[in-house]
Amino acid sequence: MGLSTVAGAVVRSQRLSTAVVCGVGAVAALMVGAARGEAQRTHVLVVSGLSGDPTFRKSFQLIASTVKEAARERWSVSDSSLIVLTEDSLPNALSRGRSSREAVGAAFTTLSTRVQPGDVLLVMLLGHGSGEGPGSKVNLPGPDATAADYATWLSGFTRQSVVVVNAATGSGDFLAVLKGPGRIVITATRSAVEKNESVFAGFFAKAIASDESDADKDGRVSVLEAFRYAAREVVKVYESSGRMQTEHSQISDSTRAMTVSFGKTVVSNDPRITALVAERQALESEVAALRAKKTAMDTTAYDRELERLLLAMAEKTRAIRAAGGKP
Amino acid sequence: MNGRVAASLLTTWVLAACAPRESPAQPPTARWRAQIEQAEAASRRGDRREATRLASAVVDEYARTGGKNSTEHVLAGRAYVLLSTGDAGAARAALAAFDVGSADSANLEATRRTGSLFLEKYNAPDARSSYESVLKRAPNDAEALLGLAQVEEFEGKPTALATAHKALAANPRLVGALAFVARMQLEAEQWDSATASARRALSIDSTAIAAWSVVGAIGWLSGDSATFRSARAAATALQPRPADFYAELAEAAVRTRRYAEAVTLAQQAVAFDSLSVRALGVLGTNQLRTGQMEAGQSTLNRAFALDAFNVWHKNTLDLLDKLKTFRTVRRGRFEVVAPAEEADLLAGYVMPLLERAFDSLQVRYGFAPPTPVRLEFYRYHADFSVRSVGLTGLGALGVSFGSLLAMDTPSARDQGAFNWGSTAWHELTHAFTLGASAHRVPRWLSEGMSVLEERHAQRGWGADASVQYLAALSAGVLRPLSALSEGFVRPRFPDEIGFSYYQASLFCEMVESLKGASALRAMLTGYRDGLGTPAVFQRVLGMSTTQVDAQFEAWMRAKFAVPLTSISGERVMSAATGEAAAANGRAPALSIAPRGAFIEAMTSAIEALKQGPRDSARTRLERAQALFPDYAGEDGPAWLLAELARNRGDTVTALKQLSIVTDRNETAWEANLLEADLRERRRDVTGAIAALERLLWISPYSNAVHARLAMLLSTRGDHDRVIRERRAIIANQPSDLLTARYELARALAASGDTAGARRELLQVLEQAPSFEKAQELLLELRGKPHVDLHS
Repeated sequence: MGLSTVAGAVVRSQRLSTAVVCGVGAVAALMVGAARGEAQRTHVLVVSGLSGDPTFRKSFQLIASTVKEAARERWSVSDSSLIVLTEDSLPNALSRGRSSREAVGAAFTTLSTRVQPGDVLLVMLLGHGSGEGPGSKVNLPGPDATAADYATWLSGFTRQSVVVVNAATGSGDFLAVLKGPGRIVITATRSAVEKNESVFAGFFAKAIASDESDADKDGRVSVLEAFRYAAREVVKVYESSGRMQTEHSQISDSTRAMTVSFGKTVVSNDPRITALVAERQALESEVAALRAKKTAMDTTAYDRELERLLLAMAEKTRAIRAAGGKP
Repeated sequence: MNGRVAASLLTTWVLAACAPRESPAQPPTARWRAQIEQAEAASRRGDRREATRLASAVVDEYARTGGKNSTEHVLAGRAYVLLSTGDAGAARAALAAFDVGSADSANLEATRRTGSLFLEKYNAPDARSSYESVLKRAPNDAEALLGLAQVEEFEGKPTALATAHKALAANPRLVGALAFVARMQLEAEQWDSATASARRALSIDSTAIAAWSVVGAIGWLSGDSATFRSARAAATALQPRPADFYAELAEAAVRTRRYAEAVTLAQQAVAFDSLSVRALGVLGTNQLRTGQMEAGQSTLNRAFALDAFNVWHKNTLDLLDKLKTFRTVRRGRFEVVAPAEEADLLAGYVMPLLERAFDSLQVRYGFAPPTPVRLEFYRYHADFSVRSVGLTGLGALGVSFGSLLAMDTPSARDQGAFNWGSTAWHELTHAFTLGASAHRVPRWLSEGMSVLEERHAQRGWGADASVQYLAALSAGVLRPLSALSEGFVRPRFPDEIGFSYYQASLFCEMVESLKGASALRAMLTGYRDGLGTPAVFQRVLGMSTTQVDAQFEAWMRAKFAVPLTSISGERVMSAATGEAAAANGRAPALSIAPRGAFIEAMTSAIEALKQGPRDSARTRLERAQALFPDYAGEDGPAWLLAELARNRGDTVTALKQLSIVTDRNETAWEANLLEADLRERRRDVTGAIAALERLLWISPYSNAVHARLAMLLSTRGDHDRVIRERRAIIANQPSDLLTARYELARALAASGDTAGARRELLQVLEQAPSFEKAQELLLELRGKPHVDLHS
């Protein structure tokens, strides 16, 4: 798959951001390094705040369930690394307990003992927001946790890729408070003022739980792909209903978000597969380079060359499969 | 058009009325009155220069000296009105002068003229307020009542004619009211009444050009050239360049759907007076309706430059700007113009449908309208409404101006609100019936034929008998055919417009069943030959209007004999009834309450459903169904019986009941969806496909439906329709576009179109080179010959 750990994050091949053609040898060397690395794992904390209404309660539960199921089924997150807290006071099939400020802090502490360098931590907040700036909150049972509290709790996760998704209403100010190196912060709104009911959370959950948002069809949903998918679907909802859009999601680091995805990294130790993957990645880089030249090329020549490269890539994929690898 | 702002009389007022008031040499009242009356007479003659000269003299003096009393302010206001063409400031000054005049509570004319000016500048609420203020002081002020009637007409209220009659009751010799009534009657195609009203006006004042215009319009519409010529001669004697007369003719032509002739008449009016906003407006609007888009826009720009208050022209010009962002799909005999995001989707379905409709209608009516036929789709109903009538608020779904059709996109309304396929078929039918009759077919008959053709087009399409309709039939409130056009323009109760469509379609159905389809064609030919409805009835049906009415009533009662035994109707007047409601122009207070055994059975069944005893509810629903077996409405027994059957696992009965709904109700989304589910479960692929196809005409936006249909069609090897469905998904801008395009490539490959499939795949993989399924298909296609079937 051409994945390796760099600065603690899952990094997909550079094909998405550069048209540079890599030599096969160089890529192979990179992959050898990758094969020796630890497999990256994902840890998840979902905090669902006070709903205040049966409809919201149902909606928050559904979203939390979707994320939990994706974490288990798609990303193979172990139960000990998967914490869901809801407004319910007693644990149940979905929730490990009440989403009080104290419990949220404790969950971060628990996860801090589980994470390894290079892992990914997803923190997703659901609910109704209030306050502004560092005092922004998602309403919880009992005292609320502020953005500043989350900043404190997250401060220990410096060697991991941290993805914070505050999908609550009025969540916009969380971004400025939480953003930083190694972090991707996503908020459902662009300010604390956008407090109308938000639909972003549902679409983001759907994005990370299905292949629909996998824009480049490489078999993994990056954080950026999920964000873009959700943002696009939000726009559609408002357009199709003829309503003025009252929520505008935002993301702190789209470059990094392009490279981070959830789930275990599968790196083959079979040198044949490693070589095939590297060759395929080189071809993919050639495709990227060809695309960059498209406007300057004759259409027929472009199509012919594109088809040649794509067929070669397809052959490599088939060969990887035949060798027991996962493309 | 950016920055196009309709002027408002409520913005800055010119403060001429507040000019210095020191010592005018002599009281100017009498002199001004004479000058203004001369100026207005000059204006009526069409001598704009003389009118301007005289009015300017008054205005200049007024600006210098100010008015000394309310009479002078009113005279000055009248002078400003004469100068207001192309000068919004003059209109505002007129209002200011009238307003100052109105400070004198005894001067009712000042307030009336304020109302008139507001109405002239399209501000109905303030006009109404002015007239009501007069009527508060003088309840029988005939001119104020006439003004109020004009406001109500402007607002589309059904009470306008009644209010005008009140004006005439207060003053039977009020020429303006007689001319107004004549024009309203002309609009309702009551030519005899209109002629009588106009002649009465002329017997009082032979210089009433508005009345001559009505007489001329009736002569022109009825092909009575002698009457037309004499009216024109009279109008020309009054106005040597009779722009108003021709503008009225053009408007009458529009009202009878003779749009191309309206353009010619309006051009004549503009040739007589190039500054006539009314003539320019009719010309521009109808150039647009006949597909002359650039000329129409140019004409309306001229009109708007002369009258920045005109909201019709502003709305239309704004819409034309928006139309530039639409996309046009040209194929065969049609052009589909739609919002860019929907053009491919809608065109993909509607163009083949329209081609089929064209072939069918050409045979049935022996006529083919000019092609290409242009169909414009509007996603916002307000835009469609502006395209149709220049204003928002039109209730219709579609409109036909001949070879130019316009309608809502399915997304303009809630899912299930209408069937866009039958609507398109309906509007296209108008192009045939209008054309075959040289645009002389009366509205009611054209609508009837269009609804009938909907029913012929596809099982389930077109209106069907409702409980409310049968109640109205039973109560005897349906109009006779001779007055059916009134049911479209002046409904007496909320459902009457819908009933009129259906009733007209039943008449066409009767004619076809008794005399054959050729009789419908012969009726159109009769109108084309200049015959009126009685003569057409006589020629084609061999009966007088009275005889036709009687036969039709008997035919309807026989057709609905079974349900009529259990459905009756009771006339109910709402609490807000009588004159108070009428005076406020509120909706008609009459309604028809259905009564009878069917209603009782349904009521008790629903009660049983609420309380839970399913068997009891089922028995009552079955009883209701026995009383009205064909009823497929949402409030009928079939849908409920289907749900009960499904809940107890009786798929056979559920499907039988669902078929009653889906065979007769063209907007039954849920019923078709359920039918598709059940039929698919029973492996009735053909039935499931049919149900899903019906859904597409209710709403084409569900990708789940498209995908399901594609899957079922592929099991039948119906590659063309699979490809259509896959393209529809793409046109719907799915969240996962690349997968949708991959599926299209698969469908193309399955159809043998290897070149198309390869092309699609290359584009997909160019975006997502790692897309494994697409890679695999590309490998499969390698080496296969390049066959291009669908490019």
